[in-house]
Amino acid sequence: MNAHRLDPMGIALRTEKLTKRFDRLVAVDGIDLEVREGEVFGFLGPNGAGKTTTLRLVCALIAPTSGTAEVAGYRLGVDDAKIRAAVGILTEQPGLYERQSAWENLVFYATLYGLPTAVAAKQAERYLRLMGLWERRQEPTATFSRGMKQKMAIARAALHEPRILFLDEPTTGLDPDAAKTVRDFIVALRGEGRTVFLCTHNLDEADRLCDRIAFFRHKVIRIDSPDELRAELYGRATEIRLLPAPRPEDLARVRAVAGVREARFENGSIIVASTDPLRTNPLLVRALVEGGAEIAYVTERRARLEDVYLRIVEEVVEGGEAPLGPPR
Amino acid sequence: MSVVARTPERTTLVRAVCVREWREAIGNKLLVGMTLLPPVVILGTGVLAVAAAAINPPSERDIQALYSAAPAVRGLDPVDAVQGFIATYFLILFMLIPTVVPLTMAIYSVIGEKSMRTLEPLLATPVGVGDLLFAKSLASTVPSVIVTWTAYAFYLTSVVLLGSRAAVNAVTAPRWVLAILVMVPLLTLLSVNLGILISTRVNDVRVAQQIGGLVVVPVVAIGIAQVTGRVVLDNGAFLQMTTVLIVLDLAVFWLAKIAFQRENILVRWR
Repeated sequence: MNAHRLDPMGIALRTEKLTKRFDRLVAVDGIDLEVREGEVFGFLGPNGAGKTTTLRLVCALIAPTSGTAEVAGYRLGVDDAKIRAAVGILTEQPGLYERQSAWENLVFYATLYGLPTAVAAKQAERYLRLMGLWERRQEPTATFSRGMKQKMAIARAALHEPRILFLDEPTTGLDPDAAKTVRDFIVALRGEGRTVFLCTHNLDEADRLCDRIAFFRHKVIRIDSPDELRAELYGRATEIRLLPAPRPEDLARVRAVAGVREARFENGSIIVASTDPLRTNPLLVRALVEGGAEIAYVTERRARLEDVYLRIVEEVVEGGEAPLGPPR
Repeated sequence: MSVVARTPERTTLVRAVCVREWREAIGNKLLVGMTLLPPVVILGTGVLAVAAAAINPPSERDIQALYSAAPAVRGLDPVDAVQGFIATYFLILFMLIPTVVPLTMAIYSVIGEKSMRTLEPLLATPVGVGDLLFAKSLASTVPSVIVTWTAYAFYLTSVVLLGSRAAVNAVTAPRWVLAILVMVPLLTLLSVNLGILISTRVNDVRVAQQIGGLVVVPVVAIGIAQVTGRVVLDNGAFLQMTTVLIVLDLAVFWLAKIAFQRENILVRWR
């Protein structure tokens, strides 16, 4: 791939007090963000949180009301055309010319990105093959399934080898096979050191793909890696399955072990949150065996990102802000 | 092979947009039909009318009506005079072609993009919106001008073959040749940019066509005024109309350019 080899310590995107108002509505409220080169950065928030507006701002599609940003080394408001050349964006809708073939669609866009004819053809072929659409390149995109259209739109966004790829809900509405192709593509981009800015409501996908995640609702609520968010909010949990079902005295024994922060019953297991599972787990096993319990298995219990998301949302609501809508 | 994205050359952009829009138009049978129907009808009717005037001598009443509407033809042979009058009348109708034909294409060019949601990815490229608007205008203007000129060429040939000396003189009069060469592109541009401007505010092609259709009213009014003898389309009148058209073209393009801004399109267009 003709990717730029980027400095992994560099900053691909930096915003400073970036704000966008539409009349009285503050869609984006003074956000300060730093996205590192080569990372997959998740951007999570409920509907109407201002995610799409943020994307449009940093892709130089709309102008900020105040604040600024540096995108791929270019200043927003000064080098807007260069920013648009340096980034790729997958919009919410595939937006393809449906009477035209897959090939015509991609070559047209390659031309608008200023690629010479030979390079445009080569890139169109490369991405059609990558997305598994080469055999159907001459067919009008109107005949394509939703998944194929989405893959076409991703190919279009990546066609000019952008330094930063902004993906808005890339796997929404896709079947598992198509969604896997898209996720594999994102992983491949990261492998090449490309920066991916991923807006998604699919928390499992964000968990699997993202190096860091920002929770966003008009402003950035929290940024961290999925593991750090889980560890900070839930500690590290252990699931202990007993045979037969655990008894109240087993729970009491577990709670008495040093280092245990929290223990509870859940579906016939005891879930234990502790600060240092490597040190605590042997003590737990010993305490339970000494109490006469039969242990079926002990396993690490990872909190789901969804739990983290809901907890953070809860904190925001308790902090006096309006309740958040459910994720799409 | 290195891949370096950048703003494309203006000529490259215009060519790419025109080719894409023409492919899109050719694939739309309704659009092709609506584009070709007016010139075919006007051309066919015009040729038939000139031919019919040669075969059927006019009645005394027709001749008197013609002399009172067009005193300049007094003294001519009645058949010649009627043919000349009909040939000129259809030249005015030819001026309707550039107001009707490109309007549909211009409206589809914007409303089609709105309904297909193709504008956002298009605007995410490094092209300038002014260049994009210019390219879109040209994509609708060029086919319309070619269609009108081609229809005129057929009409001219038919009149030369079938018509009287007066009819040939009428259709080859320098002011009409200049009108076809100069005013047709100006009227086309006006219609196209008006179509684009209207399309920024409405989402329904039919509504846009109804509003845009008003552009034919001044042309029809001038035609009626000329037929009824209230206006004489002499060289001075053509010069005045050309000047007015240039001013209108600039004003409407300026308004279309204001409406055709990235933020307006993404945030305000519905």
